Amino acid sequence: MESASHLSIIIDFSPQQWHSSSSNSDQGPFSLASFLPQLFIFLNAHLASQHENTLTIVGAFPGKSSVLFSSNEASTEADADPKLYQPFRTVNAAVVQRLSEELESLPESTDAPIALVGALTKSLCYINRLVNPQTVSSTTQNTTLSSAISPRILIFSVSPDLSASYIPIMNSIFCAQKLKVSLDVCKLYGPDTVFLQQAAHLTGGSYLSIHNRDTLIHYLMICFLSPPAVRQLMAVPTEDKVDFRAACFCHKTIVDIGFICSVCLSIFCKPTPVCSTCRAKFPMKSLTRLKEALKPVLPPGIPEPSPIIDSLPDTAPALTLPGGVGMSGGGKGKGKASQARGGGQYPPLHLGPMGMEGPPNGMHHGMPPGGIMPPGMGMGGMGGGRPGPPLKKGQKRSMNGMPQGMMSGVGMPPGGGHPQMDWRSMMAYPPGTAPASTGTTPTPPPPSR
Amino acid sequence: MAGGSREIKNHALIEFLQSQTQNVLHRLYTRPSACLAIVRLMSPFERQLVMNLLWLEQPLETKQVTSWVTLEGRSAYEAALKTLALLHILPNSKENMSLHSSFKTGLRNGLTGSGDIESFGVPALDVGFEPLSPEELDVYALERWDTTLHFMVTSGTGEASAKPSDGVLYLLEHSGLMRNDQGRRIINSEGFQFLLQSPHAQLWEFMLSYLRMMAEREDMDMVDILGFFFTLSMMQIGQQYSNETLSPTQIIMVADLRDFGLIYFPEHSTTVFQPTRFATSLTSHMQSISEAESKHEDGRDGPHGFVVLETNYHIYAYTNNPLQIAVLNLFVAFKTRFSNLIVGTLTRDSVKRALINGITAEQILSYLVAHAHPQMKKNNPIIPVTVQDQIRLWELERHRVKGQDGYLYKDFGSMNDYEVVVKYARELGVVLWENGAKRMFFADAAGRVLIRNYIERRTAI
Amino acid sequence: MKAVKGVLITCDAAVKQILLQMNERRREDNYFVIEDLDQTHLLIKADEEEGMRQELEVELEKNTYSMEP
Repeated sequence: MESASHLSIIIDFSPQQWHSSSSNSDQGPFSLASFLPQLFIFLNAHLASQHENTLTIVGAFPGKSSVLFSSNEASTEADADPKLYQPFRTVNAAVVQRLSEELESLPESTDAPIALVGALTKSLCYINRLVNPQTVSSTTQNTTLSSAISPRILIFSVSPDLSASYIPIMNSIFCAQKLKVSLDVCKLYGPDTVFLQQAAHLTGGSYLSIHNRDTLIHYLMICFLSPPAVRQLMAVPTEDKVDFRAACFCHKTIVDIGFICSVCLSIFCKPTPVCSTCRAKFPMKSLTRLKEALKPVLPPGIPEPSPIIDSLPDTAPALTLPGGVGMSGGGKGKGKASQARGGGQYPPLHLGPMGMEGPPNGMHHGMPPGGIMPPGMGMGGMGGGRPGPPLKKGQKRSMNGMPQGMMSGVGMPPGGGHPQMDWRSMMAYPPGTAPASTGTTPTPPPPSR
Repeated sequence: MAGGSREIKNHALIEFLQSQTQNVLHRLYTRPSACLAIVRLMSPFERQLVMNLLWLEQPLETKQVTSWVTLEGRSAYEAALKTLALLHILPNSKENMSLHSSFKTGLRNGLTGSGDIESFGVPALDVGFEPLSPEELDVYALERWDTTLHFMVTSGTGEASAKPSDGVLYLLEHSGLMRNDQGRRIINSEGFQFLLQSPHAQLWEFMLSYLRMMAEREDMDMVDILGFFFTLSMMQIGQQYSNETLSPTQIIMVADLRDFGLIYFPEHSTTVFQPTRFATSLTSHMQSISEAESKHEDGRDGPHGFVVLETNYHIYAYTNNPLQIAVLNLFVAFKTRFSNLIVGTLTRDSVKRALINGITAEQILSYLVAHAHPQMKKNNPIIPVTVQDQIRLWELERHRVKGQDGYLYKDFGSMNDYEVVVKYARELGVVLWENGAKRMFFADAAGRVLIRNYIERRTAI
Repeated sequence: MKAVKGVLITCDAAVKQILLQMNERRREDNYFVIEDLDQTHLLIKADEEEGMRQELEVELEKNTYSMEP
């Protein structure tokens, strides 16, 4: 028997972006007015696919997000029309009404950022309620219906990345992974957003940047209508180039090279003596070494650090920095002996170019030569990424006998080489999951295998 | 979860549609409601294929479509092409693919609400009386349905039960579920099997019989019939619809379907009707009727879970619903009845009675599983193995003797004669038994003439 | 060569013996078995099949014991 599917749609209603989209002649003008009819047809198609299919529409506005429509809640009754299937009418009328209310209540000018994260979180909460109905007072909830639901989220984005929302977006991604929700992203206008690309990639969704927006409906039908079960049989286009860059925790800027706290996996754009998230202190020695190591990375003549991994020669000094961190020999060896094996007692902050325009050789899940990984990958052996038991206040944990310190964003797993690694499984323990308030009780990653 | 490469069985109605002529189907596809309903009845893969092609103006090269399909999707793709071609939606072509224009326009209109065919029912405004609420409609529909089933189950037992309307009786007879035995209607073995199916399957079987019956009538246009059927399935529960725009055929259907419990209209009204949940859940894949049933049975958890079966063949059924008791009574020997509980035993005699009625062991078992009490559902397997095996053994007991009509060929003059003839009969595939040593073989009656002619020809030479 | 019209009965060996015994109990001119083919097959008269089945049913019931009162 076929199961029903739930679709949550998040629409970015940034007035500035839509305005510039409708006046932009570069890709051809595309206004909200020409988007909504195509969206409605898509919504209708989703509802038409199955009697039990449900829908939630969340709008992201500057500074606030609000639910425009939800199948499970009683909505405004529209007059029946013999030419249109009644549920279609109900949805369309409700969305138009709520949307005009919301747009009218927007302040004249606002600098508030688009509440994309808010909308995403609302959708996830809603899905969680559908998937786990017993947590709600289940007097009227129908448990048999919701158990068979396969939920999805589709984001229509027009705004560029908001680097401040890196951590919450990452957290939402992990939440979505846990709920087995796939995030689809449809980029209608503007440059590709790094974070949403990652979101689609990490949750098995599809990211699509629409260039020919007059035929949007066709794209929507082909790429975003099919439930996950059908996608196994009929392929949908996915982005084969994913930008894995992250935003640092200190200045919220997207970084190419970052430094990772070995305790809580926070990302920083430059070496710091103390982790601002978990208050872990790093040894001076590694700091100075890292700062030194950072310099040669810069290609001569270019003042700003903007290394691109693809063009970096294997011999670049930064890439010869420690590979194995905290591996078998980490605790015992001191200085040269262990460094020769690719590890050190005080592993320096690792230089890890964060951005990868897709691995050059097309290996998507493989590690590019040189042992570079995005931040947050933690230690090579993290694998499933379950955090160890929290430490008591004041207690320090060493990993394999290694004192804590800032360490490299990664290196190679024990044994070296360039093993195939699954980004996804490693991302299961994300940089963002270490809450900022747990400074005194850090949850270090588990010892490596 | 549907999908995967395993064979997906088409919906029964899709098969019915495939038996219709191309002309009928294309006229049907001009109705947006029909297109939407058919899309729902398709398998997920077929649906996606249709959606992918829907917004193309130009035909697409077949090999491009093929390139969308993953390796695991190959068999689903082949099956989908076959089904869609038989429905005359996607003509089979080696080079180009394009949805048939009438279906494409119909479905587009359905999704966009454009076009000028009012195929989703004309709502009635200001009718002067209050419509029934969805809950009241559920009660009405279930009562109608239960009446029919209860009539079937008690027929022939002499027990008096409310008689359904003539339309239902006629359909029951026509569909072969019951037979008319000198004015008394007796349930057939198909009828017994019907009783043990899920409500959703029952509804569909009933509706398909109805459509087949209507199709046999010369004076009715199939497009009218199917069109209204799909319109009905796309209506909203609780809404009142006007029948002023309906054709004479469709007016007849409204009256018929009222008898079945798919439509409600009050006695005094001739212009307004309301669909019940039976009608609106027709295109649903899940069993929305049972949901309605669960609402109906106040407070009890789970609409179906009321049967407890123990390893000692004792059955405890927590129900006071006469229909459920009557259905159980088909294969259970009841002993004691309380206000909310009825106790009985599965005995050889009681099961044999059911088997004689044409019910199979599998049907008994699947009914027991479907209606198992939540407490019993915790067991694995749900039904004790001993009981399962015993029911199957009782069934096998009835099949100890198999008889086949035909002719025994014997007394052949020579071994060679025998071998030539038996070889010929084997090629015809009619040999049921043979014994070379005795120079005898037994062939079914169909081969009689052919074999005789063959022997005559041989002897003539 | 000749062809004999009849019904081919396929059954287990035990039932076949019961059938043969039933046949023996009848009068000579009323036999229903035409030919004893092998361990599990019999050829009987076509119009006798129903009657034989009922008779067999009764015969088999004699050998069935039920706990039920």
